[in-house]
Amino acid sequence: MIIYIGPLVLGLILGFILGTRIRDVPESGLKFDASVYILFIIVAFIVAYALGPFPYYKDTPFASGFVAAAVGVILGKLIFGRSSTPQKMED
Amino acid sequence: MSTILKIFVFPAAMVIICLGVLTILGGHITPGGGFQGGAMIAAALIFCLIIYGLKDSPFHLSHDFLAAVESVGALIFVLLGIAGLAFSGFYLYNLGVDIYHIIPATIQNLFDYPDPTHAGIIPYLNFAVGLKVMVGLTAVVIAFMGFKEYEEESEKSKDFEESGESEELDEGEVE
Repeated sequence: MIIYIGPLVLGLILGFILGTRIRDVPESGLKFDASVYILFIIVAFIVAYALGPFPYYKDTPFASGFVAAAVGVILGKLIFGRSSTPQKMED
Repeated sequence: MSTILKIFVFPAAMVIICLGVLTILGGHITPGGGFQGGAMIAAALIFCLIIYGLKDSPFHLSHDFLAAVESVGALIFVLLGIAGLAFSGFYLYNLGVDIYHIIPATIQNLFDYPDPTHAGIIPYLNFAVGLKVMVGLTAVVIAFMGFKEYEEESEKSKDFEESGESEELDEGEVE
C-alpha cells in the first residue's frame, strides 16, 4: 500500500494554520477541554471512513486528507493554541 | 445564544473545516476547489463568530493573521504563475511537478497527486485560492460585526452624554 504524501501534507498545513488560532477564552464562561478534541477526532475518523477514499486516492479506506486536516487542527491547537491571554480581535 | 448551540458549534465547526480542506484537496478532479473549500472553511469560522460573538469566539482571527494568510495565498498564486512564465513563456502554464526533468523522483512523488490526471500545479493553485477565500470572506463578516459593535458603543456614549447634559441643565434650572 502506497501512502500519497502530497494531499496529506497540504491538508496538514491547512488544518495546522487554523488550529493555531484556537484559544480558550476564560471571560466567555465556556471551557473546551480535552474531551471536546477527543470527540472531534472520533467523529473525524467516522466521517472520513464514511466518505471513503475521497477523492479517488485509493491508498487508504478512508479520506486521508480529512484525517490529515483533523490531525493538523489538533497539532496546531496543542503547539500554538494554548495561550490563555489571547490577542484581542480589534488589534 | 442558547447553551446547546454554544456547546455544539465549536466541534461542528472543526468538522466543517476538515470538510472544506478535503474540498480544496480534491478540487482538480471532483466538484469543488479552492473557492468552494475556502468558502466552507469561512462558513465554519463565521458560524463560530455568530454564535460566540466577536470577542468570545474560540477562533481568534487577528488583523495580522488575516493579512498574512491573504498575502501568502496571493504570493503562492503569483509565484506559480511566474514559474510557468519563466519555464514555458506562458503565465500560469501547468509545468507539472517535473520541471525540465531535473526534479528528483522522491520529490516528484511528494508533490505529485496520485490520480490519473496528474494535475501538476492545479492543486497548489487551489490551495492558494482556498487560503485567500477563507480569509477574505471571514474578514468581511468580522468587519461588519466590528462596525456594528462600534455603532452600538457610539450610540451608548451619545445617550450617556445627552443624559449628562440634561442633568446639568436640570440642576441649572433648580439653582
